[in-house]
Amino acid sequence: MRLRMAARLIRGLLVAISATGLMASAQAQEKKIKIGVVFDLTGPLAGGGSELGYIGAKIILDHFAKTGVEGYKIEAVYADAQSKPDVAINESVRLLEQEKVDMVLGFFSSAQCVPVAARVEQLKKFMWMTTCISSAVFNEKGYKYVFRPQASGDQFGMMTMDFIAQNAKAKFDKEPKDLRVAIIHEDGAYGVDVSRGNEAGAKKAGFNVVMKEGYSATAPDLSALVTKLKRAKPDVIFHTGYNPDITLLLRQAREQGLKFGALMGHGAGYGVYEKLKEGMGADATYIFNTDPISIWLANQKTMDPKLPPVIKMVGEEFDKIRPGVAIRSAHVGIGASNTYVFMSDVLPRAIKKYGGVDPDALRKAALDTDIPEGGTMLGFGVKFYGEGTPMAGQNERSFPVVIQYIDDKSSVVWPKSQAQREAVLPLPKGTTYSNQ
Amino acid sequence: MQAFLDIFDIYLLEAVINGILLGGVLALLALGLNLIFGVIDVTWICYAELVMIGMYAMYFMVQYYGVSYFVAAPLTILLVAVLGAALHYLVIAPLLTAPPINQLLATGGVLFVLQSFATVAFGIDFRNLGIRLPVLAFGDMNFSYARLLSFLAALVGMVAVYLFMTRTFTGTAIRAISQDRQIMALMGVDTRRIYLITSALGGALAGLAACLLVLQYDVHPFVGLSFGPITFLICVLGGLGNFIGGFIAAFLFAEIISLGGLFSDLEWGYVLAFAFFIVMMFIRPAGLLARRR
Repeated sequence: MRLRMAARLIRGLLVAISATGLMASAQAQEKKIKIGVVFDLTGPLAGGGSELGYIGAKIILDHFAKTGVEGYKIEAVYADAQSKPDVAINESVRLLEQEKVDMVLGFFSSAQCVPVAARVEQLKKFMWMTTCISSAVFNEKGYKYVFRPQASGDQFGMMTMDFIAQNAKAKFDKEPKDLRVAIIHEDGAYGVDVSRGNEAGAKKAGFNVVMKEGYSATAPDLSALVTKLKRAKPDVIFHTGYNPDITLLLRQAREQGLKFGALMGHGAGYGVYEKLKEGMGADATYIFNTDPISIWLANQKTMDPKLPPVIKMVGEEFDKIRPGVAIRSAHVGIGASNTYVFMSDVLPRAIKKYGGVDPDALRKAALDTDIPEGGTMLGFGVKFYGEGTPMAGQNERSFPVVIQYIDDKSSVVWPKSQAQREAVLPLPKGTTYSNQ
Repeated sequence: MQAFLDIFDIYLLEAVINGILLGGVLALLALGLNLIFGVIDVTWICYAELVMIGMYAMYFMVQYYGVSYFVAAPLTILLVAVLGAALHYLVIAPLLTAPPINQLLATGGVLFVLQSFATVAFGIDFRNLGIRLPVLAFGDMNFSYARLLSFLAALVGMVAVYLFMTRTFTGTAIRAISQDRQIMALMGVDTRRIYLITSALGGALAGLAACLLVLQYDVHPFVGLSFGPITFLICVLGGLGNFIGGFIAAFLFAEIISLGGLFSDLEWGYVLAFAFFIVMMFIRPAGLLARRR
């Protein structure tokens, strides 16, 4: 009897041991990278473009989840930053420390990117920023584990100034020194950074800066700002804002009779044409926006031939999620393209060349990135400033383009090499804001 | 000297008038909250979120169901009045005898529930009513009709609420109930009914604000964040329950924002307004029009 019981016990133990062994070996065989994805899915920034960036990133992550990468399964864990920097930090730390993700990806707002990057670097974890643009994220920080293929804020500000500088004489019939420009911006990291680029660009071009001012994106009233703009009489307004502050400003500008020759937007709220159109109606026509080129507008002839089918796939998936959108926002393409660069270029190299997905392998693989112009869906190439440089981790090959909304279509108008049509400048006579 | 004189131009006058019109918006918002927070001493921290629900109601009725604005407005006022009464019945009534902090926390919870409900039900998109009112122009100065309407509504609303509170039995009962909740029942007043009426009235005023704000602002689940804190400050600055004080406080606050923003950075306008509030809390803690004791 005792012998039988002992035999049963031993048999049970053996079964338990072998089961544990099987589980362990299964775990060893199931190679996986867990990616924490952080965007704003609620709060004001969600509708300002963050959710669209999330959709773009998710389409690509879902695509690679089906195939895996170099034998690794892809598992994305999503978190909502709720449009708050503190929540973005807490969620990133939670993903890294509790969910045990191998890296974090995404981030729409520059106000979140700056503190989150510092925290992630402190934890010596890997961070891949798809969307936010503030130069302050990298400037003189010397980060090792933080990378961003996206163009930086000062590039946005410089690009629009360059566009106006090159067109001042031809379109406004004015020398740059006689052109009156106003720079207004939301006062977060994003707006301040772009406005610095604007200021530097204005100085370089020799413009007469008649006004420069920041405001809170949640301010309930901007009429005093509009009155000051009326007093300053700018030919061109350079504006950086989210939404709904953009529609509030432009609505109050219409009501107070503000007139100008051109309005240059810089991404974020200006990148979501549907919302501009809903808030402003026909007045959304002729507005300029600066952003990385929409993947659906990029020149596919000069692009890596494997990318057009991916662009088509992203468009089709997006249309399933958001049917009937007149102009697919650039934010979708930014999220998708910058995620695709990581999944198709950096991650395979980390696994093959550096043996895994730990932060150091990912960092080394990112530093090796050398994609020429035309090698991404956004048209630009990718090569990161290396360690020891002031902007270490920032893509040195990225650039935004200037687009203009005309008749429910967006067309690239600057730089000339990418231009799809001639810009309508200044605002035609008879339009609401025209100073003609 | 010339630089100083240059300030006194047509744009200064425009800023002053815009300040008055912004004051109308803030006074309209403060009206209902003053009734609830100031008169019956119940804290609705979620007041601005009721306005947000009203704005959504307007948006969907006008944009999706094609209901005329003038039909949708009374329906919205009715809807938010019912919400106000429901808020009292479900959340405040069980806590009436509890310390005020409990009401604050409970309605704080309702604030997050309403924000989350709006996010789930309506999404995070900014929605615009799409009604563009004409602009009133005087030479180089232009003013928004939507703001003029808010100003008039606030003025009429204040007079109406003042008359209701001082000339009717229910109004008198509402004022009396804040002084002693227990004794009113002994004097033959149905306190439950009075609280419900007041809450519905407060909700109706939030609904009225929603009908006019939706002409000026996009609606989204977090629109209340832009107005909630300022509305509370105005009620306190004007003196809790003092409708005329609240009205004056709204205009003072708005003028400081408008003129401060004109003479310096816009942000400084808000800084000055909040600094003014803090100073006034030291000088006149019971409100601008409080009687000195």
